[in-house]
Amino acid sequence: MAEEGKRQERKKRRTATEAASSIGAMVKAAIGGTVKAKEEGKKLAYSFIVCSYDEIIRAMDVVPVWTENYAGVCGAKRDAERFLERAESQNFSRSLCTYALCGLGFDQWREELGEMPPDSPWGGQARPDFMLSSGQILCDPRNKWYQAAQQYMPDVPIYDVGLPYPLYEDDIEVADVQDYYIKYIVAELRGLVKFLEEQTGKKMDYDRLSELVDLSERTWNLIWETYELRRAVPTPMGTGDAMNTMVPMVFMMGTQEAYDFYLDLNRELKDKIARKEGVVKDEKYRLLWGGGLPSWFALTDFNYFNSKGAVFPVETTYRMIEPIYRLDIPETNDPIERLAWRWIRYWTYWYDKARKRPGSEPDVERLIQYIEDYQIDGIVMHEAFSCRTFHLGLIWQLNQLRKIYKPIPVLILGQDGKKKEEKRELPSLILESDIIDISSYSEVDTRNRIDAFIETLEQAKTAAALYK
Amino acid sequence: MNEQNSDILSKVEKYYQNYGLRAKELKSQGQKIIAYLCSLVPVEIISAAGFVPFRISGDVNEPITKGDTQLETIACPFVRSCFDVSLKGRYDFCEGLVLPHACDSITRTYSVWRYSLDLPYSHFINLPHTVRGPSMDFFRGELETFRKSLGRFAHKEIADSDLIEAIDLYNKNRDKAKALYDMRKSDPPLISGTEMSKILTVGMSLPVTESNELFAEVLEELTQRKEPPVRKAPRIMVDGACIDNIDFVKLIEDSGANVVVDSLCIGTRDYLPHTDVGGDPLDALARRYLDKINCPRTYREKAEGAYEKDLSARFGDIGSLGKEFKVDGIILYVYKYCDPFGFEVPARKAYLDSLNMPVLYLEDEYSAGTIGRLRTRIQAFLEMIE
Amino acid sequence: MSDYFAGIDIGSTMTKVVIMNDGIISSIIGPTGPEQRRLANNVMDSALRQIDLPFDVITYLVATGYGRINVPFADKHVTEISCHAKGVAHLFPRCRTIIDIGGQDSKGITIDDGRPTDFVMNDKCAAGTGRFLEVIADALGIALENLDKTALGSKQPASISSICTVFAKQEVVARLAEGVPLNDLVAGILESLASRISRMVKRLKVANEVVITGGGAKNAGLVKALSDKLGYATLVPPEPLITGAVGAALLGKDIVQKATKNGLPLERKRRLLEEIEIL
Repeated sequence: MAEEGKRQERKKRRTATEAASSIGAMVKAAIGGTVKAKEEGKKLAYSFIVCSYDEIIRAMDVVPVWTENYAGVCGAKRDAERFLERAESQNFSRSLCTYALCGLGFDQWREELGEMPPDSPWGGQARPDFMLSSGQILCDPRNKWYQAAQQYMPDVPIYDVGLPYPLYEDDIEVADVQDYYIKYIVAELRGLVKFLEEQTGKKMDYDRLSELVDLSERTWNLIWETYELRRAVPTPMGTGDAMNTMVPMVFMMGTQEAYDFYLDLNRELKDKIARKEGVVKDEKYRLLWGGGLPSWFALTDFNYFNSKGAVFPVETTYRMIEPIYRLDIPETNDPIERLAWRWIRYWTYWYDKARKRPGSEPDVERLIQYIEDYQIDGIVMHEAFSCRTFHLGLIWQLNQLRKIYKPIPVLILGQDGKKKEEKRELPSLILESDIIDISSYSEVDTRNRIDAFIETLEQAKTAAALYK
Repeated sequence: MNEQNSDILSKVEKYYQNYGLRAKELKSQGQKIIAYLCSLVPVEIISAAGFVPFRISGDVNEPITKGDTQLETIACPFVRSCFDVSLKGRYDFCEGLVLPHACDSITRTYSVWRYSLDLPYSHFINLPHTVRGPSMDFFRGELETFRKSLGRFAHKEIADSDLIEAIDLYNKNRDKAKALYDMRKSDPPLISGTEMSKILTVGMSLPVTESNELFAEVLEELTQRKEPPVRKAPRIMVDGACIDNIDFVKLIEDSGANVVVDSLCIGTRDYLPHTDVGGDPLDALARRYLDKINCPRTYREKAEGAYEKDLSARFGDIGSLGKEFKVDGIILYVYKYCDPFGFEVPARKAYLDSLNMPVLYLEDEYSAGTIGRLRTRIQAFLEMIE
Repeated sequence: MSDYFAGIDIGSTMTKVVIMNDGIISSIIGPTGPEQRRLANNVMDSALRQIDLPFDVITYLVATGYGRINVPFADKHVTEISCHAKGVAHLFPRCRTIIDIGGQDSKGITIDDGRPTDFVMNDKCAAGTGRFLEVIADALGIALENLDKTALGSKQPASISSICTVFAKQEVVARLAEGVPLNDLVAGILESLASRISRMVKRLKVANEVVITGGGAKNAGLVKALSDKLGYATLVPPEPLITGAVGAALLGKDIVQKATKNGLPLERKRRLLEEIEIL
């Protein structure tokens, strides 16, 4: 490929699973597919992941262009800088979401040239026919990015879908407010259908939509079961791979291809477990990736953890599913209503559990559950400077977790000279960099921190062993 | 300010320098104070419940220290400062906290605030992102939830009549704020930008009845003024997010200009819009806080036709104020890490440039140290205007 | 008797004084140490001594630069933005864009008829200023003025990804240990700085001619890298450090002429070379 070798490209990351290593080609094909679809006259929509509209877009034969994905690809190929610089020259602050900056820099360049910028990664990001913003409880850029892009593409219309969910409150149950939340989301999704009907000149086929919602619900369940297989010791798959296997989950939901992918992954993991084949030969530390999007340009850091005997059997990031049968979705034949209920139930899934433990919160409760289910020894998070959405509150979650959850029993020497039992919290580490802005990353610094963390884990293990 | 401060301006100065002093006094007299952040919390509902709404202010002169142990430094620096001084106990007289879904820096830190401050009451108001019909219905639902929740805490049912009364008091407050702004239309203005910032900031720390009295007294004082407090100088408008201190405006004025109007919180954006009267009070509040307050966190659908039309629809209020107050230049002042404003800087700047007026765009952090470093830029900008 | 106009530019690293009548008759460039910052009077005194004139012959004196407020005897203080615009326009009448790369800040200015129309500035972070080169030169053990010679012959400039000066220093040291040739490394550093300055300047409506001033303009490698990144040919004044002081002197001349023409009184300070009182 022309662009390879030119930029500072890394060697392909070593993956544990076949499934994960097949992802690169899938993403490349998908991005190339959007450019081809454009040439074939299909309707393209700039879209955001996790917006509950995948099935609606698919049912209308609209081709989603996942703008966050393209920015991530530029980052992973270490070729985001020139787009970020363009955005900066346009007066966008470099402190803003770098996915959006990369996308805006790309759009500005493509629109200025009237064709793809030179050597665009994987053939470039196609010009959309319309853009689907999303006003959620989180992520300001999802509400501002496409509006900003309109400066370069004023003829491309936007539909902004409102998708709120209630925050966790002491005095309010989800049941108290869900009626007007559901009513609103249903209205917003119906508004989206109407918008798409106007844009495509086609009518929504609700039977087809129902089938796709069925399919994605089956996919949710399958992903959950498959990921739970990673509880095995040694774990057959780590977070490094999960940052690849998230692709069908967030970019291909509502397609048979996504379902089939997880069927294959499920089989592969079961085989590995049967053979007791782990991510690393000698699994010493089991870590939870407890928050933050990864640095796409530095996924090899996961291999660095592996080289120290540390594995990540579980992560909160990009685990955007829960088992459907546990979500308590009311019976309805209306696929739009099902989507709305799934949305609310997913985001409030941990609320009831959190209420039972004083001082807990849904995000903290989820960490505790994973720590116990996956036999976790330590927590790693990543604070990406440019993204407030997923990276504010991480310090607090760790502080709160330390306060209410101390699982490691140790013996310490008391003042009276006698040994006494004490409970310690799990060791944790927060890495600092960005999702795609490599200029904020220092490999030396990151690896020093990882080394120090591994030493902490070792000490904790030794102390716990003494107790036994 | 005049060399001899009048009683009322001394009072403003006292409340500004000791922000929260009056709320503290009221607390000791048995009143309950409810703190809130940002212009998107309907203070009418808090007042109607019988509480004193108190707007949390940051402090550009206080280095952020304790706050950083609980909150990432990638949050908006204004929110970080507010959190830091709150965590240090400056607003310990407050009984509760209400945060709105304004931006990620506020929304994502709700839990951090709630647990770190450990107040008897807390509530989060979820604003939708568009102003369409279903969004209004939804937001009304959220306000109803807030009314009930706060009512439970107050042990009283907040009746429509309570809301109507509070709406009326706040509308009066907005009338008076408008009258204060009108004092800045003459050249030179009858009130300096620095004085105005003080008065408006202090207004947010008082019960509405006292804020109304204070504004009335200030107005009375200004009509007595024989000499304008400032000399004729370039007339500047400040556009941007939230400024709750005098430091930035004072720097502009010390550099030889008069700040005569703004498009800011705390400023015209939150002080001027009225709540409609006559209909359902919650509907009216929903409309004020979602639609009438023109904050970039709310998406407004693109106007039909050319892109320039969309810019006028989104930012036309800034241009109108500029004309009304005959400004010579506009300073766009945005905080680092502010996604809602940051993503529209090019569009906002394109609109401001289209007014054929000099525009200076400044990105800053919320601290006296960084504000000071803007001096050369501001002076160079004023040299450009002259 | 002809009029004399003086400009004094107290930058963060260098202090520059220019005295003009029809042309430049005296100029001084010296480091701004803690002493000079306080003792602007001494620098002025040296400049006067060069031409053997007493201070009171100076018709008008304008102070500019980061330390301009430390010049108590200046008749007027003007920002370096306006002074650079004036000074560069005098030397290059067709100039539309100025890029000034100083020791602690860098700026871009678009000008029209010798007046700034827009500007951008970076003074918050060492990256993107001369300070960045200083730190790196120091880490590599090369004298700052020899840096661009070191880059000669580089065929494949190294890619330096870190923006933060501290990180970049780490990165450079690590790359050197990896065996990256020194000339490629230095060329990479110059490209990295050029790219940072260029994307700041691109926020303006850049137009020909583009003139580069300040200490950075003395580094030919940097100037070339910057021209490439911007996509514009660039010009450098014979003495790129004094354009601010020249502009200050010329602005003084304008002020005097305008006052004379309109019969207005001229506000001037007493011609007393005193040091500033710092409490």
